[in-house]
Amino acid sequence: MRRRLLAVAGALLAASLPACRGRDRTQNEPVSASPQETAAPHAPEAEPVAKASVTLYFPSATGDVLTAETREIVDTKRPADRGAQIVAALLDGPKTEGALPAVPPGTTLRQLWVRDDGNAFADFSEELVAGANAGSADEILTVYAIVDSLTENIPAIHKVGILVAGRERDTFGHLDVSRPLPPDLTLAKPKPATE
Amino acid sequence: MISFRRVLLAITIGTAAFAADPIPVKVATDTSGASTRVVLTFAKKVACAVVEDAGHVKVNCDAAIAADPGAGTLDDAILKSFGAEGDRTFVLTTGRGYRSVDTFELKNPTRLVIDLQGTRTAKAVTAPPVPQKPLPVIVIDPGHGGVESGAVGPSGLQEKDLTLDLARRLKALLERQGATVVLTRDEDRVLPLDDRTAIANHNHAILFISIHLNASKRKTPVGAETYFLATSATDAEARTLAGLENKAYEPPDATTPPAPGSPPGHDLELILWDMAQNSFLVESSRLAEAVQTELNAATGVRDRGVRQAPFRVLMGATMPAILVEAGFISNSEEEARFKDDAYKDKVADAIARAVASITARP
Repeated sequence: MRRRLLAVAGALLAASLPACRGRDRTQNEPVSASPQETAAPHAPEAEPVAKASVTLYFPSATGDVLTAETREIVDTKRPADRGAQIVAALLDGPKTEGALPAVPPGTTLRQLWVRDDGNAFADFSEELVAGANAGSADEILTVYAIVDSLTENIPAIHKVGILVAGRERDTFGHLDVSRPLPPDLTLAKPKPATE
Repeated sequence: MISFRRVLLAITIGTAAFAADPIPVKVATDTSGASTRVVLTFAKKVACAVVEDAGHVKVNCDAAIAADPGAGTLDDAILKSFGAEGDRTFVLTTGRGYRSVDTFELKNPTRLVIDLQGTRTAKAVTAPPVPQKPLPVIVIDPGHGGVESGAVGPSGLQEKDLTLDLARRLKALLERQGATVVLTRDEDRVLPLDDRTAIANHNHAILFISIHLNASKRKTPVGAETYFLATSATDAEARTLAGLENKAYEPPDATTPPAPGSPPGHDLELILWDMAQNSFLVESSRLAEAVQTELNAATGVRDRGVRQAPFRVLMGATMPAILVEAGFISNSEEEARFKDDAYKDKVADAIARAVASITARP
C-alpha cells in the first residue's frame, strides 16, 4: 500500500512538472504543448526530419458535420508527441475554404498525455469553453473535432478525455465529458443531403 | 393509520451532530404543481428522517437546525403551515387534501425535496372523479434557465425563455391527452443537468423530453433534430464494471496522472448511472423517430434527422428519454418563426402527437 502511494505521488510530481527533462520519458508522462517543443523534437541535426501525413477534422462550411483536412507533422513515434502536434495543428485553424475553427480563439493546449489503456487526456485553457452552453451543434463539433482527430491518427488512442484548466468537467453545457469519449465517425461522413 | 411511520432516511450522515450552532436551513414552498413541494436547503450536510405523524409530516434531524423562514402559513388544501418543534425538528402541518409524502434529495447545495401528494378538490368548481389508476407522468425539461441563457438569437431571443414557453404549451396539450405532466423547471432559474434527470426518475415518469433550441456560429443551419443517447461510449466499460459488483474498487493505474477531480468510486457510479438509459434505447429511438417525423411534417423546415450523442441530461434517465433541438435560433428567419405563437403551438402540437402515437401502442 505504501509503495502504491509513493508511486501515485511520483506520478503527480511528474504531471506537475511537464517541462522536466533529463531522463527518459515513458509513454505515460505528459507532454507540454509549447511550440518550441513540438516543432523541434530531439532529432539528430544532420538527418532530415521525417514527416508524416495526418487527417484533421474541422467543422464544415455548412456547420453540420466535420470536414477532413490533411496536414504534415513531424513523424514522432510517441503517441503523446503525435497527439500534441495534432492538437497544435487543430488549434492553428483550418485551411479549407469556409471550414470553421474547431475551438474558440485563444484556446491553448496545456498538456496531453496518453495512458496505456488507450485513453488520452487533452487539457485545454479556459478559452475552450468561452461562449459554451450555447448551441449543442457547435459543442458537438468542437468535442468531436478533437476526439476524432486524435483517435483517427493515433492507433494507441481509443478515447479522449477533455479537461479544462487542469480540471475534469461533467459537461460544457450539453454533452457528458466526465469520461473519455470514443470517436463519432458519423460526423465525419456527411449524410446524403435531404434537400 | 400508523401514526408514526418512518418514510425515508434522507441526507447523508454528516459530522454536524456535535456542532453548537444550529445549521441554517432555507425553506421554500411551491403549490403551483399537482403536489405541494417543500424544498429545504441545508447550509451543510445533516442526517434527517422524514416521518408522518397524525396530521403532520416531520423532518427530524440529528443536529440543531434554524429554518428560514422559521414558520409560515399557506392557503393550500395539502399544506396548511410549517414551523419548528424543538431545535431539531421541522414540522409541516398538512391539510384535508393531504394523502402521502414523497422525498428525494439533491446535492450542491444539499437539498431535501418533500412532495406532499394529495388533492385540492375544495378549490375546483367541478371536481373531476378520482381516477382508478394514477395517470402516467411525463416529465418535460425546458433547457437552460437563469444565468444559463443557452443560445441567443440575432435579435435577442433567448433559448431559456423559448424552451420554457414550448414546454408549457406541450404540457397543456399532453394534459389534454390525459397525462400528468411535470416540468423540471416552471420558472427562469438555473437547474443542474443531473437534477433534471433526477426529477424524471423520482416522478416515475414514463417519458422524459428535454427541449432545446440550437445555435451555430454559421448563420445558415436551420431545422429540427431529435437526439437519443449514444452509448457506444460506455457499453463495453459498463458491461465490464457490471461484472465487478462484488469486487473492491481499484484506483486507476497509479503510474499515470489521475483524472483530476475524481474521487474513488466516481467512475463506477457514473457508469451504472449510464446503464439506466441503456435499457431504454430502443424505446427512446422510437420516440425520437416519431417526434422528428411529426416535427418535419408540421414545420416543413429542413429535416436534420434523428441523431445520437452522449447528452448528459439523458444518461441517467430510467425511462425512454429524448432531447429535441426544435430549431436554430442563430438563424434569423428561424428565430423569427419562433416568435410567432401559432408556430410555437405547431411545434408543441407535433411533439404531443408523437407522444400520443408512442403511448397509444399496446
